[in-house]
Amino acid sequence: MVKKRPTAPQDYAGTREEAVTLRQAFESGAFVVTAEIGPPKGTDLDEIKRLIEIYRGSVHAVNATDNQSAVMRMSSLAVAKIVLEQGVEPILQMTCRDRNRIALQSDLLGAHALGVRNVVVMTGDHVLLGDHKQARPVYDVESVQLLEIIKSLNGGTDMTGNALKGKTDFFSGAVVTPEANPLEPQLMKFAKKVSAGAKFFQTQAIYDITMFSVFMEHAKRFDAKVLAGIVVLKNERMAQYLNDRVAGIRVPEELVKELAVAPTKEDKQNVGIAIAARLIRQLHEKRICSGVHIMAIGMEDKVPVIMKQAGLL
Amino acid sequence: MIITRQKDFESILRNLKDSRRVFLVGCGECAALCGTGGLEQLAGMKRRLVERGVEVTGMHLAKTGCQVLGTKIELKQHAEAIRNADCMISMSCGAGTQTIVELQDDKPVLSANDSLFLGNMTRHQMFDERCSMCGECILDQTGGICPITGCPKGILVGPCGGCDDGMCEINRDLACIWIKIYERMKKLNRLGEFGAATPKPKDWSKNARPHHRITRAPGKKP
Repeated sequence: MVKKRPTAPQDYAGTREEAVTLRQAFESGAFVVTAEIGPPKGTDLDEIKRLIEIYRGSVHAVNATDNQSAVMRMSSLAVAKIVLEQGVEPILQMTCRDRNRIALQSDLLGAHALGVRNVVVMTGDHVLLGDHKQARPVYDVESVQLLEIIKSLNGGTDMTGNALKGKTDFFSGAVVTPEANPLEPQLMKFAKKVSAGAKFFQTQAIYDITMFSVFMEHAKRFDAKVLAGIVVLKNERMAQYLNDRVAGIRVPEELVKELAVAPTKEDKQNVGIAIAARLIRQLHEKRICSGVHIMAIGMEDKVPVIMKQAGLL
Repeated sequence: MIITRQKDFESILRNLKDSRRVFLVGCGECAALCGTGGLEQLAGMKRRLVERGVEVTGMHLAKTGCQVLGTKIELKQHAEAIRNADCMISMSCGAGTQTIVELQDDKPVLSANDSLFLGNMTRHQMFDERCSMCGECILDQTGGICPITGCPKGILVGPCGGCDDGMCEINRDLACIWIKIYERMKKLNRLGEFGAATPKPKDWSKNARPHHRITRAPGKKP
């Protein structure tokens, strides 16, 4: 079992209990904060170790992303283990793009042996979006089916029903796009993920609290925790890129303008930080969801600042 | 039908290596409809080869290039022209090419085409992939639209996070097949099935390669 670590941030709900695992953090009623570490392209660990130190004590858990955007990097499992070794609660991100059902189950057993207990699954960006476009995409199973597989492993059998010597104890999560268009099929898939065992969700980036609240009205009927996705904006170009190129993200025009009027690069970053902090503060104060998942792409250093501004640190 | 595309002519020439006398075989079925192996393409290939100093000893449009026995009988009339050739060029799909390989074990057989997919001709020489021949049809569960073929990830459980305004993440001109399935199920008033239990992962043992199948009645002579 994961040893007790002095990593837990304060319980913002006021119960003051020290949450050690992600599961415990949710159970304590805390406003849960997770962040992301992108594994390095190469073997140099200096940068991720530095970021893990920054995250220590400010977030509840950190995702190790799985070859995100289909760009080949160090395995998320290795990085999850490094996160754990540095005393921070890891969340193993697992996509269905690169491994068939044998490899996925095998890696899950391996992750469990290394002490990883949280897994967030997704189908995964297509190889054509990444830096190895010639690769054969796998997708032997997809996200809901992978959640079902984890449920089997937790129950003591592999997906075909063969008994395991020693079962797993994973806390499963998944992803959802609250502003998907059309929304109905996305909500139907959300329901399937919950019944397949997803206990928590990290959402695609949201910028409009009103729109997100509509989704939460639906999501609250299910027994799963939702962490609102917060992507920190660097400048108006990034906002425009998200609007034009990334599925399910809509940055409102007034936020794009807010970034555009800031004169310098640093000013724009500060506006991005303020927007993220403002969103988090509103989500927390109005208790709209169970917490946030901060994707501070390239601005990971700023996560503690964002949390301070949001009144969480 | 099997959709094919003609290889770059220069690459066909390179593949010929030292061969300077060739026999051409087209196919009257899919390749003819694709415009890659019909009479017109055979004539065009002959003309271009001759221009580049390659002798064409003869040519034949197979009725159905993947039908081995039928093609064998048809090629008998060209026995001498085939004998005079030091190489065969097949203008059909990979299956048709291997018919010629099976019939001509003493000569190299080059393929002039790349085989692309099993598809439907939607307009004149416009083709869409509709079936992956996966071994176990699920169209009865998906409103008659195949996600194994139509989704770049072959997802069996609804749209992925890459679906943007009903379009696919890998190509913004490609409609998300799961949105099409959703809309069709809705129209048929069968949306309940769309939201029902998660389908089990695909049984790929039903698609183990190479496939072999005999459909004639037992005891009957071939």
